[in-house]
Amino acid sequence: MLSSFLPDACCREAAAVALASAPDVPASAPDVPASAADALGGLAALAGAFDALGTQAVLGVSLPSPTIFAQYFVFAVLLGGIYGLVALGLTMIFGVMDVINFAHGALMVVAMYAVLVFSDATGLSPFFAIPFAVLLLFVVGVLIYRSTIAPIIDAPQENQLIVTFGVLLILISAVEMVFGSDPQQLGLDLGSLEISGVFVPQGQLYALVIALVALAGTWLFLQRTMLGRAIRGTADNRDGAQYVGIDVPRIDALTFGIGAALAGLAGGVIPLFQSFTPALGDQYLINAFVVVVLGGLGSFPGAFVGGLIIGFIQVFGSAYLGGSTYQIVIFLAFILVLLVKPEGLLGGSADE
Amino acid sequence: MSNALSRAVERYGAFRDERYALPVLVAVSLVVLAAIPFLRQLALFGYAPLGWLSLNMLIVTLIWATTAQAWNIMSGYTGQFSFGHAAFFGLGAYTTIILTGTLGVSPWIGMLLGSVLSGIYGLLIGALTFRYDLEGHYFALATLAFAELLRYVFTNVPQLGGASGFFRPLAREYADGPGLAAFQFTGDLPYYYLILGFLTIVTVVSLAINRSQLGYYLFAIREREQAAAAIGVPTYRYKLLAVAVSAFFTAWPGAFWAMYFNTIRPTTVFELLVNVEILLPAIVGGIGTVLGPIVGSFVVIPVGEFVRQSFSVPGLNNAVYGVILIAIVLYSPKGVVSWPSRFVELLRSRTDLLDDDGA
Repeated sequence: MLSSFLPDACCREAAAVALASAPDVPASAPDVPASAADALGGLAALAGAFDALGTQAVLGVSLPSPTIFAQYFVFAVLLGGIYGLVALGLTMIFGVMDVINFAHGALMVVAMYAVLVFSDATGLSPFFAIPFAVLLLFVVGVLIYRSTIAPIIDAPQENQLIVTFGVLLILISAVEMVFGSDPQQLGLDLGSLEISGVFVPQGQLYALVIALVALAGTWLFLQRTMLGRAIRGTADNRDGAQYVGIDVPRIDALTFGIGAALAGLAGGVIPLFQSFTPALGDQYLINAFVVVVLGGLGSFPGAFVGGLIIGFIQVFGSAYLGGSTYQIVIFLAFILVLLVKPEGLLGGSADE
Repeated sequence: MSNALSRAVERYGAFRDERYALPVLVAVSLVVLAAIPFLRQLALFGYAPLGWLSLNMLIVTLIWATTAQAWNIMSGYTGQFSFGHAAFFGLGAYTTIILTGTLGVSPWIGMLLGSVLSGIYGLLIGALTFRYDLEGHYFALATLAFAELLRYVFTNVPQLGGASGFFRPLAREYADGPGLAAFQFTGDLPYYYLILGFLTIVTVVSLAINRSQLGYYLFAIREREQAAAAIGVPTYRYKLLAVAVSAFFTAWPGAFWAMYFNTIRPTTVFELLVNVEILLPAIVGGIGTVLGPIVGSFVVIPVGEFVRQSFSVPGLNNAVYGVILIAIVLYSPKGVVSWPSRFVELLRSRTDLLDDDGA
């Protein structure tokens, strides 16, 4: 599929050979996680862009041209921003509560379907559905915290990990039972901007803008409000926070709610540019872990730095390596950072 | 009546405190497991109480009991919580099927090489993570990353099967036909006894470690690693040993999986959910106990399979797993195997009260 359009395939041999050999290459295609293919190829507008590449390949034009490089660059930044948004809620819950929330991806999936249901039911633009998804997920997050996390907040870390995984199983099964596991989409074609030959898909552009607004909003909330200060205090020192009169369990509930709401926001924007299935949550979840560790568990700017790194690896990796080989590079980078600098590239807690 | 009950409780309490109690319980459990295929045909007044247990379901239950037993040696005994045992399971499955399918080697040799390879991969993971002192979340995420890494390697390298994986070769392609030597049988019953044999071996190893000095070292590492190191336990070396043993035996049920089911693919042996299915029985049954993984597997897997087979709702069995996981961690973190003891304690305290009243 994608690989037939790719520069290195065309440079290696005569372009015709590259194209002819293409059917062999996607031996890996059927089961490959669709995230890259979806995030890049799911856009109608991109078909045009890749078509242009394909034509160039047939003509034997040497690649990559600056335009194509710029195109990949744009994709990488957009994807990186989305990964940053996905990681935001995860890193917040970790930073404050020291809990790894395996249900994060499942919460995103709930939000995706909430957007679908809301916009189907009301006939309004999906953009109105996103705030609804955020609110819904905040409530879901608080309920999950109260029922499953709060009783074992002081237990060994593994217990919380197992419980959030249990929540993941329940949420995903529930979504599967109601909506089935076929891909769903909003049928929204936002089109794309073209800037001197470089396509900027609008759905992802909006997602990136929303991600940046969410980052700024959460940042301001944490820095400028009393509640935010209480959350930062709890992240710094839970016992100390308790001693100065902060209601730590309430802060935990709030943090988990906000983390889930951020998952809701991330899940809410994904239908703008991508079709989705209940399994999509797992793919985002795994890479979100990588993003969070790369950036530093609990660090907000780190989430976006990590997101960009993964975005670049994924886009350029799927362009030049083929299949989902980029995912191997991502995990190698992840393991390397875990070993050499486990506190992450911008390590620290949520308040730094 | 109450007298008879309290006497029985007393007798169980006394038995439980004996040193031979655990080996006896393990032996009884294994004998019961050996008898189950016949028990399930037993009918009382035309009703077979175990009739709903299919052989296939029992085999799957024993596969996950064996993996959980192997996981338990590392994560239960030393407290190094692995979330990536699918790596070892998958390595066992893939090595077996690749060697048998392409080179015509006996699956038994494939299984042996697969488990050695798994052990080496486990040593690599352990050497890196323990050397850099990864703990808690970081350790769990690192092990997960090592498993996911393998998933994508096998997905993207065509020589390793790619995303579509491998078909199990026919027995006559590399042997005289189905039989023990070929690791393939025509019916399910021999498969059942084979996996029961694997489970028995891993359980005996686990029991032996539990009772040896090695076991005490591992428990010391789990309870307080720095204190263990301070009194001279070479913690790094023993953690590595635990990983290697655990990885070695996790590859066995992986190899069995490859020879029992028709195909293996990265999504069936390396997936995120496999990591959970491996540790699920141990957690439900009781982490760090010898009987826990077996008991837990028989609590979780038949229920999940029963739900999956009787209601045609995809995903319902996963929801059941989720509910069981949460319920166990919240309400009984020591697992199902702790229930008889808790029952005994409960009755003892009640009878004590009664005695006091009488006196």
